[in-house]
Amino acid sequence: MNILVFIKQVADTEARILIKGDNRSLEIENKYNLNFFDEFAVEEAIRLKGKVKDSKISVCTYGGKKAVEALRTAIAMGVDQAYLIDNTDLDTDDPLITAKILAGFAKKEGFDLILCGRQAIDDENGNIGAMVAELLKIPHVTAITKLEVADDKKIIVESDIEGGKETKEVQLPALLTTQKGINEPRVPLITGVMKAMKANIPVVDPASLGLSRELLSRDASKIKILSYETPKGRPAVKMIEGETPEEKVKKLIKLLREEAKVL
Amino acid sequence: MDFTLTEQQEFFKKVIVDTVDKMVAPKAQEIDEKDEFPWELWKEFTSLGYLGLRYPEEIGGMNADKIMCMTFYEEIARGSVGFAQSVIMNILMGTYFIYRFGSDSIKERCLYPAMRGEKIATMCFTEDQSGSDLGATRTTAVKDGNGWRINGTKMWITNGPICDFCTVLATTDPSKGLKGLDFFLVEKGTPGFSSGQILNKLGCRGTVTGELVFDNVWVPEENLLGEELGKGVNYVGDILDEVRLMTGAMALGIAKGAYNEGLEFARKRVAFGQPIGNYQLIREKFADMDTLMNAARLMIYYGAWMLENGMDSRLIAAEAKMFATEVCLKVVDEVTRIYGANAFAYEYTPQRYFRDARFLLYGGGTHEVLKDFIGRSIIGKL
Repeated sequence: MNILVFIKQVADTEARILIKGDNRSLEIENKYNLNFFDEFAVEEAIRLKGKVKDSKISVCTYGGKKAVEALRTAIAMGVDQAYLIDNTDLDTDDPLITAKILAGFAKKEGFDLILCGRQAIDDENGNIGAMVAELLKIPHVTAITKLEVADDKKIIVESDIEGGKETKEVQLPALLTTQKGINEPRVPLITGVMKAMKANIPVVDPASLGLSRELLSRDASKIKILSYETPKGRPAVKMIEGETPEEKVKKLIKLLREEAKVL
Repeated sequence: MDFTLTEQQEFFKKVIVDTVDKMVAPKAQEIDEKDEFPWELWKEFTSLGYLGLRYPEEIGGMNADKIMCMTFYEEIARGSVGFAQSVIMNILMGTYFIYRFGSDSIKERCLYPAMRGEKIATMCFTEDQSGSDLGATRTTAVKDGNGWRINGTKMWITNGPICDFCTVLATTDPSKGLKGLDFFLVEKGTPGFSSGQILNKLGCRGTVTGELVFDNVWVPEENLLGEELGKGVNYVGDILDEVRLMTGAMALGIAKGAYNEGLEFARKRVAFGQPIGNYQLIREKFADMDTLMNAARLMIYYGAWMLENGMDSRLIAAEAKMFATEVCLKVVDEVTRIYGANAFAYEYTPQRYFRDARFLLYGGGTHEVLKDFIGRSIIGKL
């Protein structure tokens, strides 16, 4: 099985992020990770490879030079090959453009199954997987929590729904996005780390993916970020003192009425 | 001059940071509280293959350069120094002599299993009356048939009470002082070899440290580790710079761990209506700590780079160990001040860093001994 995994390198959840003076760009502390949900996709691909004979996993990201680190992480975990689609000349705010580029890469590379995280934890768009599937005209299931191979043309997936689980049969080729709970991503072995350190990671020019010149032009983006602002700081927590729980509740109700004015 | 890490070194650092954050750091407080060897963590961590860090790929190692080794030592100590000590003992001192001088059969029996974490290694220098003063070593090894008979007691042995084998320093000719010292391999189960008192330590808890007793222990000739009799102290010299730089890197790791906690606290803790990080006196602490840690890191990396390139690193290694440890002591102290009274409570982490830092004063040479060595080397014989 030819498995393709799309990943994204995102700022660490603990990285300091500041809004630059123009209010339209961010200054991010140099702490980046493989996106939380994409780690599940990489892990699931590796597990699948262990079950299905003659499988090959390629991982790909559309990002800057720094993103090579996230690709190497995937190789250290057990992926066979990695590709960087260089976004240096076209860092777009429009997920549809990213999806078209990734779909272009998938067409060129060939695949039986595409896996990616359900969403990136930086922009939280959660639409790349669905858009790529649509562009490639293949079925897709979002946020799967279980994956099993039925035969070489079919897979069975499970996803959470309100109050239960839903099981679906999907024809290959297909695209699936991974949800927390599907697996526990591995910590790389040193042999994987060494392989990753030596791995040659080809840089793919978006222009080589058979996409129109208009799509790759700077004004192709239909979405533009106008500004960023930080959430307002929360007021300090007020501790409610009192001898008994009853007394504390009375005070709380009084405060909710008179100060918070929610009752 | 190029101070950048290569892309490979950066990647390795990222992997080890993530691995320590995921696997080691969350257990640090528990390891310290229980003060028991964390067998489960040992199995989980060593299965990743890091114990072969500095050995060639042909024998299952990683062949990491010295900069990468320092990164590893720093990061694992940042996670838990109690655990780091045991790991580093297997990586460096505990296996160095058998890697260099061990026969094929010794390597099969001891080195390779130790690189896989299946056997626990240690090295024994220190005795109750001698540490940095190796010339005062009282453990003896006397020729007996086709082997050697060892008698003596070693103290302060990291991993000692749980080790599967040890490299023990003994005098083969007490009349020659430093020139009469040699190394011997002693394996668990050898008659007369036992572990004695386990030390109850102020810091680095979780590492089992204690006494090893050699009571008429006989080992075959093969277990004498070295090419020439009486060269033991020279062999110590060959590894000493790396050990000192490693100790400095561990100090930096403890400092970084404490610093990170202090930074988080200073950003969140509110006093007099604003986060304490807004006050100049707290900012000054971070300015000082960051400056000192950067200086220490540069010294350690410089020493590691010299070592990697076969240059004479004796002075820089001693200076880096001493400086980084003093920086560590300063940083852990400042962090306890930033934390205020909370630092005095066992349920918070600053007290752990504060206690752990003390141990690095002694490992790799006390600062009194190091200063004397550095000063003597600079001034020369007058």
